[in-house]
Amino acid sequence: MPDTLPDTRPNRDTVPVTVLTGYLGAGKTTLLNRILTEQHGRRIAVVINEFGELGVDNDLVIGADEEVFEMNNGCICCTVRGDLIRILGGLMKRRDRFDAILLETTGLADPAPVAQTFFVDEDVKAKTRLDAIVTVVDAKHLPQRLADTREAGQQLAFADVVILNKTDLATEEELAALEARIRAINPHATIHRAERGNVPVETVLGRDAFSLERILGEKPSFLEESDHSHDEEVRSVSFSIPGPVDPHKFNEWISALLAEKGPDLLRTKGVLAYPGEDRRFAFQAVHMIADGDFVNPWKEGEERASRIVFIGRNLNRPQLRRGFEACAAA
Amino acid sequence: MSAEASGADFILETRGAQHRLEAHVVTAAVEGSGRTAAFALGDGTVALVSLADPARVAARPAVHDGAALSLAPDSAPGAFLSGGDDGLFARLDATGEAAPLATWPGAWVEHVLAFPGKGPWRAAAVGKQVHLFDGGKDARILKSLAHPSTVTGIATDGKGKRIAASHYNGASLWFVAAKEDRPRAFAWKGSHTGIAMSPDGRYLVTSMQENALHGWRLEDGADMRMSGYPAKTKSMSFTPRTRWLATSGAEAVVCWPFTGDGPMGKAPRELAGGDAVLVSQVACHPQHEVVAAGFADGLVVLVEIESGRVLPVAEPGRGAVSALAWSPEGRWLAFGTEQGFAALVDFSSPPPR
Repeated sequence: MPDTLPDTRPNRDTVPVTVLTGYLGAGKTTLLNRILTEQHGRRIAVVINEFGELGVDNDLVIGADEEVFEMNNGCICCTVRGDLIRILGGLMKRRDRFDAILLETTGLADPAPVAQTFFVDEDVKAKTRLDAIVTVVDAKHLPQRLADTREAGQQLAFADVVILNKTDLATEEELAALEARIRAINPHATIHRAERGNVPVETVLGRDAFSLERILGEKPSFLEESDHSHDEEVRSVSFSIPGPVDPHKFNEWISALLAEKGPDLLRTKGVLAYPGEDRRFAFQAVHMIADGDFVNPWKEGEERASRIVFIGRNLNRPQLRRGFEACAAA
Repeated sequence: MSAEASGADFILETRGAQHRLEAHVVTAAVEGSGRTAAFALGDGTVALVSLADPARVAARPAVHDGAALSLAPDSAPGAFLSGGDDGLFARLDATGEAAPLATWPGAWVEHVLAFPGKGPWRAAAVGKQVHLFDGGKDARILKSLAHPSTVTGIATDGKGKRIAASHYNGASLWFVAAKEDRPRAFAWKGSHTGIAMSPDGRYLVTSMQENALHGWRLEDGADMRMSGYPAKTKSMSFTPRTRWLATSGAEAVVCWPFTGDGPMGKAPRELAGGDAVLVSQVACHPQHEVVAAGFADGLVVLVEIESGRVLPVAEPGRGAVSALAWSPEGRWLAFGTEQGFAALVDFSSPPPR
């Protein structure tokens, strides 16, 4: 499957789309307004899902409906945002008016349909690119939200950037514990602390986090997840093989795995060494929808290890490890 | 230029008037009297061209604050309907004078349509609603038809008796003049992204997210599925006597036969293919079994459906064809591209020059 997928390396003609998620009250709109009022020279089109009590101060604000539908493509968990396809298509008719798009989701939104829209729809893929998923959480309520909603964990699992907001409402110890909790779910997300969404705009825009070149490019700051979490909680597991994998064995294994466990696998990312190939093979998936290609070559003297990370629920660590290790090239 | 004019641009150079509009051409239309053509543009303006003087843009009013999204001939000759992402639904006369019919702040007017015959009406699709307006002088709103999700396309039959809307999980068919408004619902799971209704009123066809078409035969509700497209179908057009449905989304103009019991079990005719470039727009001639097709590389051709004979109109290189429309009597073809090129081609015989 991955070797037959199209080239998805970022096309510089495409407009970057940053997705802002976070449960109600975490401070999404405050962050949004902060980005919009900062002098960064970018013209931003904003797509919002609810006109909340906090107004959004921007020239171009579009209301969306979060209309999710299932694709009839055999993937039971492949859901797509139809309203987003229409809105992005409409915006592209006047693309000279803006440089970037910021999409705010509702507090209860599952980020998967948004992300999958960028993998599945040919027009969206041709004209825009998913820049990053930015998740805002607040230091006071995160543990409670993780305990009582499914979405809070999902939003962290999908995050490329986590804004840990309202840090003034927690002690340093509490903040450190929260960060550890976030990293257990998603070791590759970059975490920024903020008070009223006061983060530099570069931490949110222009991340290029979905570009295959950047997959697993940054070393995770917290690799070993705690084993105390129970199965329904979102967590991550990662594995490494010191050498190359056999492309056919890997394709067979990952295709079967995504088809079977896709609903539980929120995000999967891998960088693989193939025998006799000087370039890395980068791979990512959102549920069952996968995307992969050869990217930049291995550096001189660099260890050509193959790595894979799963973020999801009900992850059977020994089984996943055995499966991946069995892909090692002979 | 005469040497180059012998190529695929021969028709455009000898019979066409060309315009550089410098904005994405969203859609094109020629109003009911056949005197004025219009191009709705991504910068919110509408370029109006008098067909008596086709080389000049007569007016280009800034109708919308945003992008123009939809354009159609008005129910009365000499005017157009225009919808935009500023929520404005306006009537535009040939001089460029715009009269607002309604505004829905914060919403997009994505589809507009009018029926000019007996019992005229105007319609605008806004979110989940299709708003129906009187087609006469006062253009008052008659009713609003609610759908389960956002309306992605509207169509009518040849007599203007019914209006059909596509949305998630199917299509809804309404009688325009019904006292009690309940649609006939056509269910099929998935995202339906556009709709066409056959002129004889026997068939509804929707385009779908999964590179396929779905159809219903109205007399018995039979489902039809037309698949095999490499890309999404964004443009569909029936020939005037419902013999063929021409469609975009493949590397040829795919024409499904609708004679007899419809296309079930029959193969489509694939026309003007061979260049590995997707067809982006189609428009059937209002009288003859001829289809105009625009490609993603800018090529525009006419194809006679029975014989498959191809007449090149404009060569590639001016941007993906994004708009294609015939004048009501079929003399003029208007087309436009994503790069802001637009042209009007006169097919009257004998040749104009």
